[in-house]
Amino acid sequence: MAIHTSRPTAHKDPRPKGQFVRWRGRSLLGYCFVAPLLLWLAATILYPLGSAVVLSLQNVQIIGTSGTFVGLENYLRLLSSHNFWQAFGRSMVWVLGNALLQTLAAFTAALILNQRFPGQRFARIWIILSWIVPTVVVVILWRWLLSSSGVLNYLLVWTGVWREPIGFFGTANAATLSVIAINSWRWFPFMAVTVLAALQSIPSDLNEAAAVDGANAQQRFWQITLPLLQPVLFVLGLVGTLLSFNVFDVIWLLTGGGPSNATTTLPVLIYETAFAQYRLSQAAAISVLSGLALLLFAALFIRFMSPPQEDEP
Amino acid sequence: MTTRIRHRSLLALGLLGLLLVVVAPFYYVATSSFKLPQEVIAQVPTLFPQSFTLQHYEKLLRSSNFPTYLANSMLVASGTMGICVTLSTLAAYGLYRMQLPAGKFLFRIILVTYAFPGVLLLIPLYGLLSQLGLVDRLVSLVIVNVTFTAPFAVWMLRAFFTAIPGELEEAAALDGATRAQTLIRIVLPLAAPGVASVAIFAFILAWTEYMFASVLILSDANRPVPVGLAGIIGQYQVDWGLLLAGATVTMLPVLILFSLVGRYFVEGLTAGAMK
Repeated sequence: MAIHTSRPTAHKDPRPKGQFVRWRGRSLLGYCFVAPLLLWLAATILYPLGSAVVLSLQNVQIIGTSGTFVGLENYLRLLSSHNFWQAFGRSMVWVLGNALLQTLAAFTAALILNQRFPGQRFARIWIILSWIVPTVVVVILWRWLLSSSGVLNYLLVWTGVWREPIGFFGTANAATLSVIAINSWRWFPFMAVTVLAALQSIPSDLNEAAAVDGANAQQRFWQITLPLLQPVLFVLGLVGTLLSFNVFDVIWLLTGGGPSNATTTLPVLIYETAFAQYRLSQAAAISVLSGLALLLFAALFIRFMSPPQEDEP
Repeated sequence: MTTRIRHRSLLALGLLGLLLVVVAPFYYVATSSFKLPQEVIAQVPTLFPQSFTLQHYEKLLRSSNFPTYLANSMLVASGTMGICVTLSTLAAYGLYRMQLPAGKFLFRIILVTYAFPGVLLLIPLYGLLSQLGLVDRLVSLVIVNVTFTAPFAVWMLRAFFTAIPGELEEAAALDGATRAQTLIRIVLPLAAPGVASVAIFAFILAWTEYMFASVLILSDANRPVPVGLAGIIGQYQVDWGLLLAGATVTMLPVLILFSLVGRYFVEGLTAGAMK
């Protein structure tokens, strides 16, 4: 926060009021700066959130039509619905798979980029390329590279790794793996640059001292680097999970949730329920339940994974 | 000595791997968009183009609605950028430079909204915007995009705003400058790299957004690029040349903007998580 405690301007204040009043006036002005954003967020997040709860207690089918109050009917139907629990499970697989793959890729990339080499400054910036490119480009790119006559299948067959072209989106398992891999490819640079920045904030004499004491590279990584990365990893774990749960477009544009619903995660289910089956209230109920599940996750994560000393903003 | 060589070659191998994974796909897409159709779908892929044609671009820009999509996306992205930068810079100034008693609490609230999964708001926001009669209007996309960019923008601005020495503002205040003047004359110029990266962030996100655009926009004439291009994917029997040209044009503005402020962008991106 701003270090702004001394107020040499105090005596110049024209108003002959007490210290307290001036101080209050100052923070009032401060709140005026923050207010537009807060009002905007209240109108577009808080209010809709409330209306989602109201909607989920009704039986509205199509937007614009009115519904009647049905209580918890939508929720009860969901909780006994096979589709809902399957999508719930797929979302968990999705989040875990993405976390695993992205952590692996991000650490590898960050450790490589942390070395000294010509062009390092350039590389440390452009590593983020796949994250800034629009999703629809990512989708076209991978649909093309992974198509049955695409370059990846050509290379697999040509090098003899695989006998015949693979249908990357053909079976349930293949499609799940493909979308997770593609989304991880898109997101790992985000994590990589964060980990890299954290790596560079570690004082080099720590590692040097450990090296002098005879610790090898592996020991230094596990004993020094990783513990020092813990606060950053905590933030990434929490925010990354929420952001990767949220992913809809990559899945929708690659598989449309198929084959036979194999990639229908909760966001896809929400979208389909509302805009393909026209059951708006039902979709709102899925949103509310998903939100509660994420809230529970966040609470548990903060409770059990917080780094030892609390980080104050 | 041998460990040094081993280290070098391992590093080279790693860098080559990164290049192959991150950059090669884009190279292949961009170069292939200039290949003749028969080369695009040839059995044996060509690393270096053997033919050159602009026919895919011609088809994209002449006989599809792509130029309209581009114009729509430009409007939405610019609008998002303008509002997001205004809201987030004001908030950042209040939060980081004015020592508000509830500053920490407000900062936390904004942090929560940043990580808030937007898909949970898809249904109610759609409802709200349709009540306001904004469905199928580009302004609805601006509204949604600002909501999902501004909180993160405030976070990105943090490092840039807190780095400015407080004495500068005090000196300005001594000279009789008002808060607004201090913000515009002193703080903003010093935080310019941060403001620029926030602007680019907002632009890129609005340029990319697909989910809300696909439900809020109904008519083809109002579609932004992601929705329009996704429509082309399913429209014809897959015309890869056309799609590759579309993909290349779509990522071009992002690449140009990023090459201008990439360094600050990555700095701002990581600074939030670092503190």
